[in-house]
Amino acid sequence: MSDKPTLELRQVRKCYGDFVAVAGISLAVPPGSIYGLLGPNGAGKTTTIRMMMDIIAPDEGEVRLFGRPRRPEDRRRIGYLPEERGLYQKMTVVDQMVFLAQLRGLKRRDALPAIRDWLARVELADWERKKVEELSKGMQQKIQLVGTVLHDPDIVILDEPFSGLDPINQELFKELLAGYKTLGKTVLFSTHVMEQAEKLCDSICLISRGRAVLAGRLDEIKRRFGGHSFRVTTDTPAERMVSVAGIEQALPQDDGTVKILLEETARPGEVLGGLVRLGEVAEFRSEAPGLEEIFIKAVRDAA
Amino acid sequence: MPLENALVVARREYLARVRTKGFWLATIALPLLLAGMGVVPTLLMVGADTGQRLVVVDETGEIGDLLRRELGASEIPGLQEVAGFTLTVEAPAADRQAQRAELNRRVLDGEIDAWSWLDDASITEGRIGYNAESVSNFLTQERLEDALSRAVRVYRLERAGYDAEAVSELTSGVRLKTSKISEEGEKEEGAEAGIILAYLLFFLLYMVLLIYGQQVMNGVLEEKTSRIVEVIVSTTRPFELMLGKLTGVCCTALTQLGIWLAALAVVTLPGVVSAMAWIPEEVDLPTFAPGIFLHFLICFLLGFFLFSSVYAAIGAAFNNVQEAQQFASVAVFFLIAPVFFFWVVINDPDSTVSVVTSLVPLFTPLLMMLRIAIKTPPAWQIVLGYLLTALATWASIWAGARIYRTGILMYGKKPSARELWRWLRRA
Repeated sequence: MSDKPTLELRQVRKCYGDFVAVAGISLAVPPGSIYGLLGPNGAGKTTTIRMMMDIIAPDEGEVRLFGRPRRPEDRRRIGYLPEERGLYQKMTVVDQMVFLAQLRGLKRRDALPAIRDWLARVELADWERKKVEELSKGMQQKIQLVGTVLHDPDIVILDEPFSGLDPINQELFKELLAGYKTLGKTVLFSTHVMEQAEKLCDSICLISRGRAVLAGRLDEIKRRFGGHSFRVTTDTPAERMVSVAGIEQALPQDDGTVKILLEETARPGEVLGGLVRLGEVAEFRSEAPGLEEIFIKAVRDAA
Repeated sequence: MPLENALVVARREYLARVRTKGFWLATIALPLLLAGMGVVPTLLMVGADTGQRLVVVDETGEIGDLLRRELGASEIPGLQEVAGFTLTVEAPAADRQAQRAELNRRVLDGEIDAWSWLDDASITEGRIGYNAESVSNFLTQERLEDALSRAVRVYRLERAGYDAEAVSELTSGVRLKTSKISEEGEKEEGAEAGIILAYLLFFLLYMVLLIYGQQVMNGVLEEKTSRIVEVIVSTTRPFELMLGKLTGVCCTALTQLGIWLAALAVVTLPGVVSAMAWIPEEVDLPTFAPGIFLHFLICFLLGFFLFSSVYAAIGAAFNNVQEAQQFASVAVFFLIAPVFFFWVVINDPDSTVSVVTSLVPLFTPLLMMLRIAIKTPPAWQIVLGYLLTALATWASIWAGARIYRTGILMYGKKPSARELWRWLRRA
């Protein structure tokens, strides 16, 4: 497999009237990885994904797939699970899956084995002749996932795949996505829940207000932001800590400790000295930053 | 431009629709309903009106018997079965005032249904009283009027010294025996037959265009609100999706029309017709020329794609049936408008109004069909009408596809007319 990005955005931009939904995003998804598109609601994730899918055309910039400009026939090599997803309620499960497979150019005969295989994997093999309306919501969600992957795409793009899932299906989805990566395929998904991305992703892109504020391999990003996050146990309230030079943020935690983020140039020793002057410090230790903190910091730095 | 996915969509659409019970129910119910609308009222009237008990007080002493004879032989076909009479002729009593009161009492008590008074004054004036509790039984009255007229005519002639029978023979009327001339040769066919055929084809087309147009709109709305559309447009261009949808629904409609027209062809076989008592004997049912089916097909296809692409665009632009219905009523207006011209065209298919309206693209499918069913218009008019409509249909699909493409992924607030216009113009 080449190391050209499976999917690449070059300065794509999309406006709706005066509203800039995506203000020039560039990113590269390495082959065989799980890529997370992160950001709060309204950051531009869905618009970005719709441009990847060629559902809407970017005003500027370019979407590249497999190391070249996107072609119409690439649709068949992509599996797509939109955020707002539905099924034909009156159709049987198997007819529905065959229909989706046919839209990707498969013949009914060729699609059926893959459909049965996937239905078995999500434990819905006995339901193939049932109408969709007879299925529970959780079952429908599994069917939708099957519809995304049944044509064996090289890249799977999922928009908020975990929203609305019950915990059991969340785990199932995560396992399936991780398993898909082991087949050498590429997975990209968007989420506003940082913990999900933290556990699954190899690489991420953080989006805020239509801009990519941070992109790259997750371990590298963590390393880069490491050394700036500390856990403090002290009797000084968090609000007062920010008065100490070098402390950018102080976030009280549920266990009574406070998580602090240091400015890029700050020295931990000087910060500790500052804290000690405010009150009793029982504990002060370096901590690997969570994506949440990284995100907040990255957004601030970008501003 | 690859269109394989349009075929996949069309196939799904067709199967999903044809497999429903509703489709088959409608297919079977409509002909039954139409037949029912013809048969049931006739049956009801026949059942209700047997034996109108009528008392005639006859001052002339002659008309009563003449009326009795004439009532036995109505000239208006069908009326004989509808309105039967039990006629009692009474002589005038000495106290006429009392006799009239007595007759009124008998009507109110239900002993008789109606009474009439025949005297010289009313016969000279030509107005004879009909007194009954209900006077809305127009078929009965029509027959009585008809019989009375003839009885009075004979009475007047004889009083004037003529031989009524000789006069009747000399003044007997004629009836038009209509033959329809077409390319396929001269053929005897009743005027009623031509109208029945035109009426059937016109309203069948009208109904199918209306119903299936709405179905396209509802189908698009369903795809939009159930959000399945986003999965589909990730694999299929919106234009293909729309085209596939229209084609699938179109094939559904053609299946239904095929069943109906085949049934009609069977029903109008001569043997079957004679078995249907509700059709008056003298009405020849039309025999179908194959050419008319071809025109019907062309008119249907043009009309369907013309209106349904508008319906598809409306379905895509709005978020629910209520919102969409307001705009859909505009499309419905253009579909209903030809109905207002129905009688104008039937009466004179070559009048300026008929020709001009049948060349307006939005009206052509229905009105040209109507003209063709009555009397083959000049070829140039047919060709021009079809060409103009084909152009309009193309424009409608083009514009519909643009609005569809943008609208299908727009959720939330109802778009204004200005926004729709912007979607249309955006490349």
